[in-house]
Amino acid sequence: MNEERYILFDQYLQGEMTVEERNSFERTLSENPEFAAEFRTFKEVLEQLENKFGHEQEREAFKENLSAISDKHFNKEKPKVFPMRPWYYAAAASVAILFGLFFFDYNQNPSFNDYNHPEQAHFTERSNTNENLIEAEKTFNERKFKEAIPFFEAVLKNKKTAEIQYYYGVSLLQASQYNKAETVFNELKSGSSVYKEKALWNLALLKLKQKDYNGCKQILQTISQDYEDYDEVQELLDALE
Amino acid sequence: MEKSKIHPDQKYIEGIAANDSAIIRSIYKNFVPKVVFYIMNNSGDKDQAQDVVQEIMILLFNQAKANTLQLTCPFDAYFFLLCKRKWLNELKKTSNKGVTINEDFASINESALELVEETEQFDEKQQLFDTMFQKLGDKCQEVLKLSFAIKSMEEVAEKLNVTYGYVRKKKSLCIGQLTQWIQEAKNFKSLKNN
Repeated sequence: MNEERYILFDQYLQGEMTVEERNSFERTLSENPEFAAEFRTFKEVLEQLENKFGHEQEREAFKENLSAISDKHFNKEKPKVFPMRPWYYAAAASVAILFGLFFFDYNQNPSFNDYNHPEQAHFTERSNTNENLIEAEKTFNERKFKEAIPFFEAVLKNKKTAEIQYYYGVSLLQASQYNKAETVFNELKSGSSVYKEKALWNLALLKLKQKDYNGCKQILQTISQDYEDYDEVQELLDALE
Repeated sequence: MEKSKIHPDQKYIEGIAANDSAIIRSIYKNFVPKVVFYIMNNSGDKDQAQDVVQEIMILLFNQAKANTLQLTCPFDAYFFLLCKRKWLNELKKTSNKGVTINEDFASINESALELVEETEQFDEKQQLFDTMFQKLGDKCQEVLKLSFAIKSMEEVAEKLNVTYGYVRKKKSLCIGQLTQWIQEAKNFKSLKNN
């Protein structure tokens, strides 16, 4: 192994050479193709090492998240079955009858609760030690939205990402803080993140919750058909007709 | 690489690099079913499809992190072709009979094909690198792992309880060893191809 050569490569890349040394190094590079090829490989190896060990933690977090999503996806393709115990049927039937009695022949508008199902948040990676974010995720996933709000606000002071903003907006919507929620979703709507269409959907839900059916419909019509849950958009639009 | 026409679907690549759950879920929802369908229609089962997709996703993460992945075609075409070729390779490896696949050439997007080939090359290089890295001695492996995880060579020296000068030299030489092996593999390959 040509030890001198590799030490030279390293010194050159670290910028530790004098002007003369540098010039002579570069001259060798242009005159000696074998030297140049090896220097190129040396740089590639550096990049590989950088990529392999520089992002080790991120890669582990990604793999973990990926396999969770993948498992969920591949089991989800089976038909959804909700196990119901017999007395549930009885209870459900009587509730249905009660509702039937109340709403029979009434012109029924779709309700917020039928379309409201906030997903679970997963932003804390293993390496993450931001306590406010951990608390925000925990309270959010326990459906204690009101409690989650101050944690999100604390997190957003230092770290404003579309993902965190989105879940903050959802919490506000759940807690019926309409004005604040609207501001958050409007900001996301005009951004370029993946939460753009989701923000529109939540703006529509916000109108629905306030029984502003026309406003809801107008927003729904602006949602792109590429939106991942467009089925629901269509369903709600139909219900609003 | 042309920088001019980056496709808006680059957002999927960025989402993968950022470990963005919403993006990853939308890839599974929008693009994976097609892959599963294809694999199941070509001698595979659902579990194999899941594995192929997962391996490709990790490959994309690595390439995206290395900043060498710039989409110039729709993600759908690129992703599908990548998964498909990976599956065909697996089939070739496991069956001793030649696999005949009816390729629909008309449906292949040329810029997708080019990108897929780049990703496959990236994968190949990465695998070669991994093999070579495993051949290094324990000391070299340790010095390199620490040097690239910690970055400050002073700290690495402290952690290994050696001098700064020693660790710097060791690092250069270990990278040198890898360089030499990889260079030899490259030379051998070009010899074989000529």
